[in-house]
Amino acid sequence: MQKDAQTFLAIIEANKGIVYKIANSYCRNEENRKDLIQEIILQLWLSFPRYDEQYKLTTWMYRIALNVSISFYRKENRRDEIRQPLPDDLLLLHEEKNSGVLQMQVDQLYGFIKELREIDRAIMLLYLEENSQAEIAEILGLTATNISTKIARIKQQLKQKFLNLK
Amino acid sequence: MEDQAMIELWKSYDKKLEENLVLNRKNTEDITKMKVQSFIASMKPIKIFTILVGLIWVGLVGTVVANLYIHAFEEVSKFFLFSATIQLLLTAAGIWIYLYQLIVIHQVDVSEPVLATQEKIARLKSSTLWMTRLLLLQLPVWTTFYLNENMFKNGNIWMYLVQFLVTGSFTYLAIWLFLNIKFENRDKKWFRMIFDGNEWNPVMKSMELLGEIEDLKNEKT
Repeated sequence: MQKDAQTFLAIIEANKGIVYKIANSYCRNEENRKDLIQEIILQLWLSFPRYDEQYKLTTWMYRIALNVSISFYRKENRRDEIRQPLPDDLLLLHEEKNSGVLQMQVDQLYGFIKELREIDRAIMLLYLEENSQAEIAEILGLTATNISTKIARIKQQLKQKFLNLK
Repeated sequence: MEDQAMIELWKSYDKKLEENLVLNRKNTEDITKMKVQSFIASMKPIKIFTILVGLIWVGLVGTVVANLYIHAFEEVSKFFLFSATIQLLLTAAGIWIYLYQLIVIHQVDVSEPVLATQEKIARLKSSTLWMTRLLLLQLPVWTTFYLNENMFKNGNIWMYLVQFLVTGSFTYLAIWLFLNIKFENRDKKWFRMIFDGNEWNPVMKSMELLGEIEDLKNEKT
């Protein structure tokens, strides 16, 4: 694989959903979310020359997006620290507000996911994205058995939250 | 909501996202042309600067103090000499912490597994607490360095009393805080009072994350 700007853009285009969904799970505020998306894409670009092809592209993307979302992102002083303004809006979502039951249910699910602790949130997101337990283990650096136990507990928590809604 | 229903819901959302999410290629391309360093690497210069200033301070004051020990031990006030020695030793310990932080910054790679990277970053941030502990440990020497024998010869009972109370309470407080400022006490009221405020939020958040990582590691499967 060529590690140039065009290849990078194609990869981001094909996997933009990953960046958006993770940023949306770790950042509630819309303005801050834009900054977080920029930060994730910037870190992906900086790390791209060192991308190890023995891993799946999505594994590499999930790792960076989650690492950036969990700890790097601090709204205050971020731009000062980078010392250079970043271009605005990298990902635009064209959607009608309040678009039906699906959106309402997704919002509820997102709301519950955001209430989880940070690593648990990552586990649940990767699970909903239908990654295998082995893949989740590889992304996070935990054992597959540990992941399996964790998923069972988080699912139980979410199920309870939905039940409490009724 | 059942497990399968949750996955189905996520899938439909994903499909909708695919249809409506647009990448601004122009802006994204701009990012690939920027000369920026990673967030974590941008912390290096200030750490290096602090280490250099610390080394110069320890080097210069250390030379003066060493000379006093060798050539003027009898003449110089022992209060000043010992206070300065303690201050220098604590500053040197602070330099070690900054060196440790530089090494950790060098080791952090965001493309590595999330838990390992988060643990490094969280340890890096929470090591700031060690700096606070060392800084507080210096408190008593700032109440003793100006003392000399004449003050004791010519002083009265009130001076002794005030000096004893000030130095004694500072020493007690400094040692107590040094021993008690630690992760395990993060939920105590006094701890929350000292480390309240936006600038401490990242450190507090890192400590919570370290707790979460520890729980995950210790969890029985």
